[in-house]
Amino acid sequence: MIELKEVRKSFGKQEVLKGISLKVEKGEVVAVVGPSGSGKTTLLRCINFLEKPTSGEVIVGDLAVAAGRAHRKEVLALRRKTSMVFQQYNLFRHKTALENVMEGLTVVRKLPKAEARERSVRLLEKVGLGAKLDAYPSRLSGGQQQRIGIARALAMEPEAILLDEPTSALDPELVGEVLAVIRNIAKEGITMIIVTHEMSFAQEVASRVVFMDQGTIVEEGPPGELFARPKEERTRLFLSRFAPEGSYSI
Amino acid sequence: MEKPELRYVFEFIPKLLSSLHTTLLIVAASMALGLAIGVLVALPRLYRVPVLQRLSQLYVSFFRGTPILILLFLIYYGLPELLKLVHIDVTRTPVLVFVILTYALHSAAYISEAVRAAVEAVDRGQTEAAYAIGMTGFQAFVRVVLPQALAVSVPVLANQVIANLKDTSLAFSLGVMEMTGKAQTLVAATRHFIEAYVSLAAIYFVISLILQKLFQIAERRLLKYEGPENAEPSLPFKERRRRRLFGSSAMRLPWKEARADEA
Repeated sequence: MIELKEVRKSFGKQEVLKGISLKVEKGEVVAVVGPSGSGKTTLLRCINFLEKPTSGEVIVGDLAVAAGRAHRKEVLALRRKTSMVFQQYNLFRHKTALENVMEGLTVVRKLPKAEARERSVRLLEKVGLGAKLDAYPSRLSGGQQQRIGIARALAMEPEAILLDEPTSALDPELVGEVLAVIRNIAKEGITMIIVTHEMSFAQEVASRVVFMDQGTIVEEGPPGELFARPKEERTRLFLSRFAPEGSYSI
Repeated sequence: MEKPELRYVFEFIPKLLSSLHTTLLIVAASMALGLAIGVLVALPRLYRVPVLQRLSQLYVSFFRGTPILILLFLIYYGLPELLKLVHIDVTRTPVLVFVILTYALHSAAYISEAVRAAVEAVDRGQTEAAYAIGMTGFQAFVRVVLPQALAVSVPVLANQVIANLKDTSLAFSLGVMEMTGKAQTLVAATRHFIEAYVSLAAIYFVISLILQKLFQIAERRLLKYEGPENAEPSLPFKERRRRRLFGSSAMRLPWKEARADEA
């Protein structure tokens, strides 16, 4: 489904990804966790070439794109096989909720307007925003905006959805509604890679958890195992910071 | 020079207005063309296209740094000579075309700077979102970035339209019969200088006011997607009038303050 082969990425002299290899099967929900600055987001953005990897290969479905000689058309094809949910939602500010979801369908997929509209309305109803079709993003809460972002990503019927810290910019009381939507689509068997800081959510929804630190994958495994019995010291150290409040000793 | 008489002002205004259409044609056509050229000129600098970027910079500094009157002469007398070299004959082209071209090229320089700044002000995340759903660079620019950039640059474009309106008064120097040209003929015929120019000033001023108002409305329409629906709760009339006159900062009246202290 999605495969990364020895993906490296440097910004100037600093190497952010130090040769990442990762395979994600169809229908898997992979949560990528790790301290900030560990390269999780860069990894995600390398999959759809929002960051161009310095070297390595990205494979999505039957399309393999090598970093060094990525043709513009290949990158475009890669992006059309995936879609992304952003930390800052990045809804098109000048378009309504409905237009945001329709945009990709009419402009990229060239669907007839009526069909695009019908599908978009259905998706917005699914994320609980059927009543806000004509609202502009600036008039919606962060949680509502992010749910539209998810509807926009789903509309493209991608082979995989990449979610970049989808709840990090949200007020705590709005996190729940967004996680609920993600949980629902996870159940439908859509392939997802989620970069997240929500450990309990990762544990609940992911079929596999990948722990990254300093540009490498330190350890990966089923959430039950990785959270309960981390093999690596670094993972243990990181997870200890998320220990339940009661377990602190002063 | 004759003794000034107010009635001439009222007599001249309709006569001057009979040439208004030429003035407005120059403004409208040159703005439309200027907007198109301005966006094109901004592109190489936005996308850092190696050689074109320098050319675009040169273009902007030349057209911004040269008085428009001189540009008018250069283009009206110079361009046909240049075109003659490549065997294109423009001697039958109406003067108005040269005038519109000059104003378009001139405004394009200012517009390109405004568009460039506005495009760079559009959040990078907007482009990324467009790319992420598979748009090409062109689609992302035209569908997502440009509409937002243009909406933001409406105030600057409004300035340019009004500047253009006033600059059209120079077109008469090439013999174009727009309003200022018309005023010259009225002066020559009646020798009532002051009345002619007072009428002229009044007309330019009123049209500028109307344009300003129209652009305010356009700006509000184009930016309707910004800000919550009831960002400005409607205030009672007296309060609105007070704010219009004194600004929105809370104005404390000394005696009221004193009373507040007592309480």
